[in-house]
Amino acid sequence: MTDAVSTPDSPDHALFSRVLSALDIVVFERDEESGAYRLHGASPEWWSQCVDPDHRATLDLSRCSPFLQDYLVGRHPAWEGNLGTIEKSGPWTESDQQGGSMTLEASLLSLGSRKLLLIECLGSSFEDMRSIVQRARERVLAEDLTAKLHRNTETQLIDQLEASERTKDEALTLLQHLGIAALVLDVGGLVTFASRRALEVLGITATDVIGQHWEQVLPLSQPDCVLIQSMLEGSSRMESGGPFCLQGPQARWLAVEIHRDLCHPSRHIMVLSDRTELHALRQALHEQASFHDLVGKSSAMLRVYQLVRDVAQVDTTVLIEGETGTGKELIARAIHSSSTRKHKPFIAANCAGLTDSILTSQLFGHKRGAFTGAIQDQQGLFEAAEGGTLFLDEIGDIPPQVQTALLRVLQEKEITRLGEAKPRKVNVRVVAATHHNLSEDVVRGSFRADLLYRIRIARVSLPPLRERREDIPLLAQSLLGTICASTGKTVERLNPDALRVLMSYSWPGNVRELRSAVEFAVISCKGNEVFPADLPPEIAGTPVGLSPSIFIPLSSQDEKTRLLAALSEAKGNRTEAAKRLGISRATFYRRLVELEIRPF
Amino acid sequence: MMQKKICMLGGFAVGKTSLVRRFVTNVFSNEYHTTIGVTVEKKTVVVDKEDVTLVLWDLYGEDEFQRVRESYLRGSSGYILVMDGTRKSTLETALALHQTVVRTIGAVPFVSIINKADLQADWEIDETAIEHLRGQGWTVLIGSAKLGQGVEEVFGQLATQIVTPSPAPRTSA
Ligand SMILES: Nc1nc2c(ncn2[C@@H]2O[C@H](COP(=O)(O)OP(=O)(O)OP(=O)(O)O)[C@@H](O)[C@H]2O)c(=O)[nH]1
Ligand SMILES: [Mg+2]
Repeated sequence: MTDAVSTPDSPDHALFSRVLSALDIVVFERDEESGAYRLHGASPEWWSQCVDPDHRATLDLSRCSPFLQDYLVGRHPAWEGNLGTIEKSGPWTESDQQGGSMTLEASLLSLGSRKLLLIECLGSSFEDMRSIVQRARERVLAEDLTAKLHRNTETQLIDQLEASERTKDEALTLLQHLGIAALVLDVGGLVTFASRRALEVLGITATDVIGQHWEQVLPLSQPDCVLIQSMLEGSSRMESGGPFCLQGPQARWLAVEIHRDLCHPSRHIMVLSDRTELHALRQALHEQASFHDLVGKSSAMLRVYQLVRDVAQVDTTVLIEGETGTGKELIARAIHSSSTRKHKPFIAANCAGLTDSILTSQLFGHKRGAFTGAIQDQQGLFEAAEGGTLFLDEIGDIPPQVQTALLRVLQEKEITRLGEAKPRKVNVRVVAATHHNLSEDVVRGSFRADLLYRIRIARVSLPPLRERREDIPLLAQSLLGTICASTGKTVERLNPDALRVLMSYSWPGNVRELRSAVEFAVISCKGNEVFPADLPPEIAGTPVGLSPSIFIPLSSQDEKTRLLAALSEAKGNRTEAAKRLGISRATFYRRLVELEIRPF
Repeated sequence: MMQKKICMLGGFAVGKTSLVRRFVTNVFSNEYHTTIGVTVEKKTVVVDKEDVTLVLWDLYGEDEFQRVRESYLRGSSGYILVMDGTRKSTLETALALHQTVVRTIGAVPFVSIINKADLQADWEIDETAIEHLRGQGWTVLIGSAKLGQGVEEVFGQLATQIVTPSPAPRTSA
């Protein structure tokens, strides 16, 4: 196609100008080189209100219109060789030179190689359209309001009606008065009355209830319904059961009592008590001691659980810090399975000790032939974890080049397989862990500061086991259970002496080390109780009393034996004996007196 | 001078235009004059002792009659999601618009405001819903264009977030 716009000296220029002014449109042509917009033909009257007179012939975007200034910078298909496409900006309103405002719309199109910008002042037809939309919206608003009013009046009326019905029946009045949550059922199981409290507990209105079968009113599981039905059919005067779970967006727990109404033998009174809070408390108690696969109820761990719950709510990168063996992967799993990504994969990768290229190919994948040995296309862990969580353990050990690549992935949310040029989009939450102090690594220059900021948006610090010794009995018992289950041995408990040894040890390898110690003990143990001698020698050999604050109260007989044993080992030296037991000299003396031990 | 484009987004009649007018010219009208397309206004604010011109794109409310045009969103440095406390449906609209923006231009700073606090007795958006939004990391302000409540704050907070992006943990403003 040849250029179709008339230039000022072409014969049909005059005609073109007239057409434009009849259409009330301003036409600009964009000059590719300078990027300027040059006016074509005469400009209509309204245009002079938009721009000051000196700037009429060329379009000074920064002066005339913030809208156009912004709109014209982007890419425009109509100007990119898509002939015949007309692109509309949509209407915009801006203040004009006179302090009023004006609504305009721009159209972009190409004619041959020329790029045109047409601006039109939207007049009465736009105003008509606006008022139609306005009326429609006003109508919607008014209907909303009426519906709301209706709802309110309706509930009020029903309440009144109910109140007058109720006063007829004294038993029901009493139920109402005492604030008891009760439903009255007729012989067919239909609800004939619901107390105010019952409606509150169930979160419904009287209209939803009256005349309905009780099974419709109480969204219970099938087995629960069967159970309650049998209670209704029973012959005793009163039966009770539950708590039953009411299904719904917020599960509620109800205990149910069925009374036979003595005045009206054909009807039953179902009394409901809300046990939700109780249930939640029980649940919380249970959760306090363990969370996902984590065990411990020390205040340090309770703080960690709360942090994990908080972190799971958001989708940021997380850094888990903790010594080796503290359970960093368990925390990562807990975050994953409490997050919205829980139904997608959780993939764990250990970054320690891998070379640059192996780690790169493991994380980002490779194309066949990318390196010797790359015999086929291989997706990386990022792609494998799509939609889910990728756990990068020992992030502090990754080589500098991989750090750079990882930073890019976190910023761009795309990866490039080794040997490929085209990046692929990934949607993966990264949870990283380290036993290093990464801030120190940054100072030392072995870890990129910008990467640290990217991954440490949220952080969870796991305490070492020696800082939460009070969890050791619970942890040891729980490990004992799991280990016995997997080995088939039945070792029921840890003897108090063995426990004391466990509690005095410093656990440099943390929970992982505790686990191996318990495993060792289960294997060496002869009976159903673990004794100190069953523990690994390096642990059993620790002089008890490394940490003087730890002193487990024992039954007095046990304690008496312990004290005597310590005294004999220390050859009667009480200071030494107290030290061996990890208690102060004063305590030792007091206990000797209390237990009536006569020193030798 | 630094110039930043900010979009006002939300369901229809939630008070986007009213908030902008209160902010720019400190006037309020009970009359409803629906916006078609976009109205562009400017106001200069001071953030960290520096002048920043906010170019406010007051977009039409999203409903079955008009859907947000993606080209209006491009180039935004941030946006304000406006809800009407008396209409619960405007919360869903805000959530959907938020998705649209993230899909179109990616994650940029935003602040949300539940408008019409002067009618709080008639509110349908309750504390639980608000806490839920905050739980998702949203900044949720409560305000009223009519009383001028929360207006400076909503624009001020967004301007600060835009000018001082915070990769490190943000200190409370
Ligand atoms: N009571 C009260 N009314 C308000 C408040 N803000 C806005 N309104 C009223 O709500 C109606 C809609 O306000 P607008 O500012 O035009 O709403 P909008 O979001 O711009 O609407 P669209 O442009 O149609 O999307 C008008 O009647 C306003 O007077 C407020 O804080 N309190
Ligand atoms: Mg408006």
